[in-house]
Order: sequence, then C-alpha cells, then structure tokens
Amino acid sequence: MDREELRTRLFLRAALPLTKVVREDDKLLRLVTKNMTGVVQFEIKNAETAAHLIFADDALDVKFGKHEKPTVSFVFKDYKSLNDFFTGKLALPWIKGLYRLDIIARTVPLLLKLKMLMPEADPKEPEQRALKVKLLLYMVTTALSQLNKAGDEQMTKLTKKSPDRIYQWVVENGGPAAYLRMKNGKTKSGRGIYTRRRPFVLMRFPNIEGAYQVLTSQAPLVDAVKQGFVVTEGAMEYSKEIGLRMQYIEELMA
Amino acid sequence: MAKGLTWTVADADHMTQAEIYGEVLTQLGHQNDKIVALTADLAGSTKIGRFQKDFPDRFFNVGIAEMNMMGIASGMAATGLLPVVSTFAAFAALRCAEHVRTDICYQNRNVKIIATHSGTSFGQAGTTHHCTEDLAVMRAMAGMTVIAPADAYETAAAVAASLEYEGPVYIRIGRSFEAPLHKSIDDFDFEIGKAIKLREGTDITVIATGRTVLGAIAAAEMAEQQGLSVRVLDLHTIKPIDTEAIMEAVMDTRRIITVEDHNVYSGMGSAVADVIAASGKGCVLRKLGLQDEFSIVGYPDDLLHYYKMDEDGIAEAIQEVMKMDFEEDEDWEDEV
Repeated sequence: MDREELRTRLFLRAALPLTKVVREDDKLLRLVTKNMTGVVQFEIKNAETAAHLIFADDALDVKFGKHEKPTVSFVFKDYKSLNDFFTGKLALPWIKGLYRLDIIARTVPLLLKLKMLMPEADPKEPEQRALKVKLLLYMVTTALSQLNKAGDEQMTKLTKKSPDRIYQWVVENGGPAAYLRMKNGKTKSGRGIYTRRRPFVLMRFPNIEGAYQVLTSQAPLVDAVKQGFVVTEGAMEYSKEIGLRMQYIEELMA
Repeated sequence: MAKGLTWTVADADHMTQAEIYGEVLTQLGHQNDKIVALTADLAGSTKIGRFQKDFPDRFFNVGIAEMNMMGIASGMAATGLLPVVSTFAAFAALRCAEHVRTDICYQNRNVKIIATHSGTSFGQAGTTHHCTEDLAVMRAMAGMTVIAPADAYETAAAVAASLEYEGPVYIRIGRSFEAPLHKSIDDFDFEIGKAIKLREGTDITVIATGRTVLGAIAAAEMAEQQGLSVRVLDLHTIKPIDTEAIMEAVMDTRRIITVEDHNVYSGMGSAVADVIAASGKGCVLRKLGLQDEFSIVGYPDDLLHYYKMDEDGIAEAIQEVMKMDFEEDEDWEDEV
C-alpha cells in the first residue's frame, strides 16, 4: 500500500467515523442533522476504497466499503485528491446526487467540524479543547490499529510479537479514554477503559489541558513528562515504540 | 517483619528451613512459657533439639506414636498450653488424619502442626515418605489454617505468626537445604492469609507456594528476557486464601499458572481455581505439580525438574499458556 493510499485509509477509517462523536457532542449539529435520512459516500474513482455515512432514525452510523445506493457520493479522482479534501486543501470531487443539496448542506457542517483535528486548529474554549482531546484520542488509537491492518512494517513488527496486550490512554477525573489491544499480529482500537485485563502500557493524563498539550505536540514529550502533563506506567520500551508510530500518524494526516 | 516478632534469627544464612523453625521455636519458648513441643521420635530430623535442650520440661517425645501425639497435643491445648507438634508431613497429614480432624479441628484446639519433609522434598527416602496430598487433606478440615512457607525466613515468620493465631495451624515445610528466597527476615511482610507479590507483571501470573516459589521467580526472569511481563505471587497461606490477590491477578493478567510440590488435585491450584470459578470471571489456568501420580524416587531438585515444578518447567508452561486464549473475543474490528 503506497503512502497516499495509506493516508486515505486513515482518513476514512480513523477520522471520518469521528463525525459520529462530533454530532453527539454538538447540540447544533444534532439539530442540523435531526431526522435526516440518506447515505453520504466518499469514494475513489475506479477503486474499491470507500466509506459512507448512514443517516437514519435520527442517528448516524459509519460503514466502510461501497454502498449499493448512496444518496450522495463524493467521488475523488485519486487517493491524493481525497487526502487533500480531508486536510482542507483544494480538491473538488465529482458529486453524484448533487441535486440533493439538502443532504449535502446538512453533512458539510459535520465534515467542517473535523477540521478541529488539524494541527493549526487551536480552540480556546475549554469545551472545544476537551472535544479535540477526545477526538484525537479516538483517532490516534484507531489509526494505530489501521496502520497495523494496512501492513505498516514498523507497526506489524511490534504487533506480531505481541501477546495479548493493552495500551491504554486515559484522561483522569472523568475525561475520555481509548485503548489499543494487540495480540499476535491483530489489533483493535476501542473507546473507554478496557476492563478485561490490566494495561501493559498506561498513559495517564491528569487533566484535559495536559492531554491537549501532549496530543497536539504543543509540549514536547520530555517537557510534558517533566511538567506532569502525562504519566506513563508500564513498559517504557514499548511506549516509546507506540510514540514513534503516533508521530508517523501525525505526519501522515497533516 | 511479621507482626509480633520481637526475636532475632541468629545466623540464619547458614540454617535450613527446619533448623530455622527449631531456632525460632526456642526463641519464642523463652518469651512464652505456655509453648510446649512434641515429637514422635524425630527431634533430630525436625530440628527441635535446641528446644529440648533449653526446655527439657516442656519437650515431649511420645515415641513412634504420631496419632497418639495429636491426641496428647489436643489435651495439652485444652489446659491452656500452646503445643507445637513436629513430624514428617506424611505422618502428620496422612497417618494422623483422623486424629487431627477429631481431636484437634473438631475441638478447635490451639495446636500448631509443623510438617517437615513435605511434597517430594524427602527425595531419596522414597514415595512412602513423600507427601503430595497434605494440602488437600488439611484444607478440607474445618477450621484448619494451612501455610506453606517458601524458605527459611518465611518459615520463621510463619511459626511466629501461627503462635499468635488462635486455632489449629498446619505449617508445611521442606526437608531442609532449600535455597533462600528472601535476603532477610526484614525483606518481606508476612501476614497469615495475605500473599506476597514478589514481582509485578501484566502478561501472566505465576502463583507458587512452598519451595516452588524460587523457581517461579527464576522462570519469570527468563520470560522477561523474551519480552514477557510475569507477575509472581508467593501464596504462602493456602487457607484462608487471599482472594483479593488472586482476583487482582485474574483481572490484570487473565493467565494464571499455579505451582505446588503436591498433587494438582485439591491442592493449592484447586484452591485458586475455587476462587476463580466463584468469581464468574474468565481466565486460563494451568496447574503445575504432580499430575495425579505417585512420585518417583530421586534427589529433591531432580524431582522438581522431573515434575516441571522448577524454573525450566514453569518457563515452559509460561510459553504454552501465553499462546492460549482466555476468551472468545475474536472481534478485531476497530470501534467506530
């Protein structure tokens, strides 16, 4: 899988699903998409790569692969074009179902909200900073898992030799949490705290602001540890490996 | 240090488990004149000669009459004395089973039974003198506390703690000559019913008791070289069992290996299994020990190796158990 294809995979499988989270979190977006019915697809021309948002029963679901009959479909000429679209660069897809402007108009605000994942987005309101932390945690854990599933050499090297292990990220005092489970080459990302076994590596953020500083790379890791923004418990060698893969994801999705 | 220990263990580095027991008993005898010692013609083998020397009036050799000894001890306890009975485990737990049950446990008498040469530790003495059933027998007796210290220092702590513990106690120790696990008596906290966590780990837990604990530590260190994180619990008290430590291990690692110099049926591993089954939580459990067979004759360390209760056997089991699944969770789709 080449770099652009890998990036597309991460945008569709790690970033796009976060539309569900922003819709749940944002009253206005829930209102905008209330009782909306339809399927909005993102696809690459002449490729199987696709994902679609399903609006039904006042809920949003995200599925991967091509939908048989999408209401609206954003068709990109190649992987790079889709990647440019998700990083806010100029990329105009061909839109099937353009006449369904109502669906498009109600979907775009959800997509725009994902712009807060970009490094340059630096919200000042505490609620928005908390949302960004939650989105980044969910995205990074999913992206790590997707790197493995896509066959990334460094990631598979780590997961293939791994027995059943949990890498857990937690913002304390009721903040968001996410985990990555690996076992003999397989990975799964999940939200919340994995309760079936103790984490092999636990990255604890005492508060949202510390997590924000670390996850947005505003505080270099060494400084972040010194200042108590993050406490890592467990195997240091492995947390370092994961840290390097997180940096790689940041590069890919920038 | 264990609660109530006011004595010091002199020259402990050069003493065996049984010698330490004899030494501690003597020291405590100086502090508590209620302590009396009984043996069935095995004062030398059970190392309580020093007690006999210091307290000839409080030492009783009943002759080769172990069952009678249990009855005598029960009667002494009824008068307020604190009898400590010493003999080989095979005699204490098997030959005397009915007497321990009826005379001591049923009466809830404050008798301490120190069973030496337990498991296969009597090596060359042969199968008849091995005792790989005593944990099963003793834990089945209502009211009995069952302890298997890992080394001489733990033996010292266990004997002292048992003398302050009301009710019958069975302490299972080895032949002697077992290598020390701890560096000193101050190296650990001993409390009856509380396991000692010797190593932290998140991949798998080895729960060992008695002379197998040392091998568990060595196996954990070997596994660490291969990138595994192995927790080791020294479960010195089999009854009352430390449910909290066991369940913490289950929830944290989901893979458990128990190791005991005993038949795997109804011993420490079964006690651990009882705890896990009652909790409703899932995990893989492998019980190392004698797999329902009588022990062969050999040197004690060779027998540990033969029955895969030493570091090599435990290390092998760690690798095998790490490959096993503990749950039907094969959903590897990322959560979205």
